[in-house]
Amino acid sequence: MHIAEGVLSPAVLGAGALLGAAGVAWGLRRMDGGRIMEVGILSAAFFVGSLIHVPIGVTSAHLLLTGLLGVLLGWAAVPAILAALLLQGLLFQYGGLTTLGVNTFTMGSSAVLAWYAWRGIRRIWPGRTGQKVAAFCGGALGVAIAALLTALALAFTDEGFLTAAKILLAAHLPVMAAEGFITMVTVGFIARVRPEMLATGTSAPRPGKEE
Amino acid sequence: MPRIPDSRFPVLRTALLPVLLLMAALLAPADARAHRVNIFAWPDGDRIVVECGFSRSSPVRNGLVTVYDAADGRELLQGRTDDQGRFAFAVPDAVRQGHGLRIAIDAGEGHANDWIMEASEISGTAAPATGSGQADARPAAARTGAVPAPPGTHPGAREQPVTAPEVRAIVAEALNTGLAPLRRELAALSAPGPDVRDIVGGLGWIMGLAGIACYALARRREGR
Repeated sequence: MHIAEGVLSPAVLGAGALLGAAGVAWGLRRMDGGRIMEVGILSAAFFVGSLIHVPIGVTSAHLLLTGLLGVLLGWAAVPAILAALLLQGLLFQYGGLTTLGVNTFTMGSSAVLAWYAWRGIRRIWPGRTGQKVAAFCGGALGVAIAALLTALALAFTDEGFLTAAKILLAAHLPVMAAEGFITMVTVGFIARVRPEMLATGTSAPRPGKEE
Repeated sequence: MPRIPDSRFPVLRTALLPVLLLMAALLAPADARAHRVNIFAWPDGDRIVVECGFSRSSPVRNGLVTVYDAADGRELLQGRTDDQGRFAFAVPDAVRQGHGLRIAIDAGEGHANDWIMEASEISGTAAPATGSGQADARPAAARTGAVPAPPGTHPGAREQPVTAPEVRAIVAEALNTGLAPLRRELAALSAPGPDVRDIVGGLGWIMGLAGIACYALARRREGR
């Protein structure tokens, strides 16, 4: 779901870059200084995730892991995604430098929205089962929202929003299921071995800790 | 769930994520050329063949190929790829004027790429034209450069001696047929996917950036 160079108009690229930059700035402000290495490790997971192919026949779709990053990192997922996208663009030629802003916006927003979904479900449904459901929804929603936002960015090309949204959503249904499952398993495991890592999911993050 | 205070230490105590990640990285090269659309083109006789794919095993079906004149940006022709991700077209006239081609693929959903082909790459059709600066280089050569066949080689085989342009044409054709798969291989090699070096390098970069961030943070806390 990386949008390549030369597809979008300058207006869309500019708007995407502005929104992406705002998301990264806000994400850095909300980032807990003690969690930098976690952010880095999840950024690395996102970086290699795009190389892992989910077999679906006609189109090619890879893991996104935006939902997982969102659930585990919250707003800090946005700078993590920016770093990973930049390196994917430079080393793999996925996406590109001019579309970095748009791609950061689509992937970052889906991570953040997945985080809000995960937190919301956890609030209304505490306990083991609630945690599983919340994590699955967070992981799957991350992919779905990324597909919708990518379609929105493509709405101004001659492909149009509806066509792009249909194709992207259909192609990513297996990915949604896979990522819901991955997020559920990962969250379950972390809840057992290192539950404090999920604490920001239930307690309010402390903004502006480093001024 | 009991309330647990946030971790304030940058030390990651669990090996879970690095282990998962390493597994992912090890799995990755199996289908490493996942999600960039590749395009490459090679001349095959008087045609040019374009091949587009997300990877070797997943061709772009029904992708829109547009051929532009690289010199003046004019759109020359359009077509759709077949089930093998291929599209072939006759060498356009612009090539005979020494212009290169820019071949662009739009595979939909934001996937696009292009391939530049110089006029000199398209041998057989372009080379004589660029060499003499004349569009009708072959007839000119036929008029002036008619050489009789070497004496004694084929005594009485043909009444008419084989002319140099004819030989040239036959050799060019044979070369084209023989070289087409090689050209395809070369073109395919020029669009490599990420390899293990790229992946490990990227992981190193991310860890390095995180390390720099930790260092900067520690410095700032120290200074306070």
